Amino acid sequence: MPQVPSARAEFIVGMRAFAPLSMSIIPFGVVCGAAASTAGMTPLQASAMSWVIFAGSAQIAATQLFASGAPLLVIVATAAIVNLRFLMYATSLATLFRSQNRRWQALIAYLLTDQSFGLTIVHHTRHPDRQADLRWFYLGVAGATWLSWQLATIAGILLGSLVPPSWSLDFIVPLTFIAMAVPLLGDRAMQLAAAAGALASVLLILPLKLNLIGAALIGVAVGVAAEKLWVRA
Amino acid sequence: MSSVSGELAGELFVWSMIAGIGVATFLIRFAPIALLARLELPAWLTRALRYVPPAVMAAIIAPPLFFADGAPTIDPNLPRIIAATLAAVVAWRTRSTLWTIVLGMLALWGLQALLG
Repeated sequence: MPQVPSARAEFIVGMRAFAPLSMSIIPFGVVCGAAASTAGMTPLQASAMSWVIFAGSAQIAATQLFASGAPLLVIVATAAIVNLRFLMYATSLATLFRSQNRRWQALIAYLLTDQSFGLTIVHHTRHPDRQADLRWFYLGVAGATWLSWQLATIAGILLGSLVPPSWSLDFIVPLTFIAMAVPLLGDRAMQLAAAAGALASVLLILPLKLNLIGAALIGVAVGVAAEKLWVRA
Repeated sequence: MSSVSGELAGELFVWSMIAGIGVATFLIRFAPIALLARLELPAWLTRALRYVPPAVMAAIIAPPLFFADGAPTIDPNLPRIIAATLAAVVAWRTRSTLWTIVLGMLALWGLQALLG
């Protein structure tokens, strides 16, 4: 009987946990919407990017490749590689949501983001006793993330064309990624992976706009190699 | 006539792109949850996946600092490089996306005004 109120309570706790993160999600969503519409997508297509794909980094990567005239397969492959990190998150969530039915699992998968993953793991570590209603906490976080993302994208589509290029607002894209990447650089292997990715993206000359894939793979390889060297040393 | 068919081809391209990435992304998110209740990712893969975000993000950040719009030759954009470096320091100290964006943009505008 107490199941319904505690489900609702956990849903609200999840939405509250998301609130501070909205400060980083909303500007990023606005940028994604503006970039897609500046790249020549119709408003419908630009907003479909956000609800069909629902993954900001991949949306930005795809938009930039689309604007530069990359082939379809390269764009799809690059976005998939950018999103490979979800394998790691989903694997970690799989043990927590193993008993859910297929429909819940599909919903959980569709809504999976860096934010919903991170907050859910933290919440579960703090309150292992609330496992039964964890899906409602997750839905609170992920639902709030989803809604903010969609509204922010639409705002970006509407505002993007109004701002003159001389304002250099495209610079918000690298700034957003700097804000997301820098806190990850806690250990030396992560720093080397980022440095190698950056260097390769500038120096690597590959046909068909395969640079981002190539640079990402080089960065990952350098990170793994560095970790092996340091663990052994 | 050719512009009409070109427009159609462009529409088709964008929708195929959105659908292709959407399906791939959903499968990446869903497969582990649907299947991995039984099996586990190999340790080497889990280890490698940790490095995807820093490598990818760095590879997205760097090129616009060193190439003018679509040009093939390296042409360092000094205001952008300095503003990005400053933003990285802000991100490290504050861990705040908002401050990183606000101070990064102000730095870029200031440097553009100074350096032309």
